[in-house]
Amino acid sequence: MIKKHSSLFLFLVTSLLFACAPSRIIKPLAKGEQAIGANIGGPLINFGGLPIFIPYTSAFYAKGLNDKTTAFGSLHLTALSFGVFQTDIGICRELWYNPKNKLGLSANPAINFALDRWEWKAKLWPQLDMNLHKEFGSNKLLYLGLCNWFELSRIRPHGEVQPKNWFMSPQVGFQYSPKKWTYGIESKWVAPGVNNQPNVVDYLGPNHKGAIGVYFQFIRRF
Amino acid sequence: MNKQIEIATKALRLQVLFLIGISSKVSMHKVLLFTSLSLLLTSCLRLDSNLFNVSDKITEYKWDNYTGEQDFKLDASYKIQDSMMYQFTMDSKGNGDTKSYKIYGMYIGDLNRIATDTVILYCHGNKWHMDFYWQRAKLIAHTGGKHRFGVLMIDYRGYGLSDGPPSEEGLYNDADAAMQWLKSKGLSEQRLIIYGFSMGTSAATELSATPRSMRPHKLILEAPFASAAVMSADGAGLNVPASYTTNLKIDNAEEIKKVKQDFCWIHGTQDNFLGIKTHGEVVYKNHGGMYKEAHRIQGADHGQVPATFGFQNYNETLYKFIVK
Repeated sequence: MIKKHSSLFLFLVTSLLFACAPSRIIKPLAKGEQAIGANIGGPLINFGGLPIFIPYTSAFYAKGLNDKTTAFGSLHLTALSFGVFQTDIGICRELWYNPKNKLGLSANPAINFALDRWEWKAKLWPQLDMNLHKEFGSNKLLYLGLCNWFELSRIRPHGEVQPKNWFMSPQVGFQYSPKKWTYGIESKWVAPGVNNQPNVVDYLGPNHKGAIGVYFQFIRRF
Repeated sequence: MNKQIEIATKALRLQVLFLIGISSKVSMHKVLLFTSLSLLLTSCLRLDSNLFNVSDKITEYKWDNYTGEQDFKLDASYKIQDSMMYQFTMDSKGNGDTKSYKIYGMYIGDLNRIATDTVILYCHGNKWHMDFYWQRAKLIAHTGGKHRFGVLMIDYRGYGLSDGPPSEEGLYNDADAAMQWLKSKGLSEQRLIIYGFSMGTSAATELSATPRSMRPHKLILEAPFASAAVMSADGAGLNVPASYTTNLKIDNAEEIKKVKQDFCWIHGTQDNFLGIKTHGEVVYKNHGGMYKEAHRIQGADHGQVPATFGFQNYNETLYKFIVK
């Protein structure tokens, strides 16, 4: 309908998935190692007949607490430009790693928190990313994973029942890390279990389910 | 718009500063703090204006000669004679206005009969101007037979040739200005029907719930939206507050609780824009009056209700509700 009625409520485009970002850390940093990163990207929408991704931006800081656990915290810059402070804070924990074939499994439990300066409305929702990663050579990493968001509220506006409380998004990504920099690209199928129609936003997802998201990430370790 | 661009530029500049700070590792925490606080406190990007789709600029109204995009087009039997079309302007100044705005209207019917006629005030959707909605207005003018009822349609401020910037309060003020015009022609409240489509349902509901110049006798809503909160939740999946993106206060789902007038709701079951379940059904359920009727039009998308329903069925439904 956004095609026909154009920008009517295009504003929802930006409200969509404020939580949208790639997995912060795939493989934990070494103990004491630090990293800062930024990313841009979001779900694909049909905009004037062209597929574009919503350019959400965020930045994060991470530090290796030990060789198996890295803590991170982020700031969502796009949300901030709308007067919304949003952060996701969590850890990346290596659950299993096989040094022989450089295959590992990590979990990123995190808390998303947002607060706007207009009505001072706060929202909190947990997130759990699970990623199976495989290293190629010394500086390439491929991963497959699941990003999970959890809606804690049981009701929607006007007292209606919240229809879904678990949003699972399969994802695949690749990182290239020459020296201290890491360049990453990730794609995820955001909420494939949710019909993307009817909706005010013209999301692009297979069979009108969810939305395909594309994200670019830049990380500097030091 | 210039202000928005300026603000966006400022936000972008701060983001760039932040990223530069990241890459140079210089006083990262200071840059972070500065950027966060600056953006949070100075940012005022809002998407309110995206509600109003006034992109198609015109220099005159063309009515039947309009060749642009329309939801449907009626055949020649629905033609309105020139003598029954009255294009005019009126001044609109209401709540929050510091000046009055000249807005355009089209009355279909006999001006001399307004004092004794029943009139349907049609509040159109968010798109463009009255030419886009002309076919709809003509169709409504055939409810109960041609010119059985008068029909008044206006372009809200910022739409079509109407002056001023569009705004939420402007919708209400302009619809109320239309009522003032009808009142000045002698129309009584008992013979005023208000009809809202899509975005226009906000004005129709608001002025039925909290009347200003006149209290409409009956309310008709086609493809209403529930609220900005529902739109936000629908768009996000998560129950994200609408205030994260907009300051719009439109809330039909709550306002209609105050509506005691008879209510007719029409919505397409395949509305892929304002879903019938999360929007229309909620509005219908919350109606605070004694009488309401629902018409769920199978297979109809947003904007396609009259065509999918069938023009005759559509007119008959409206007529029965109005004369009930």
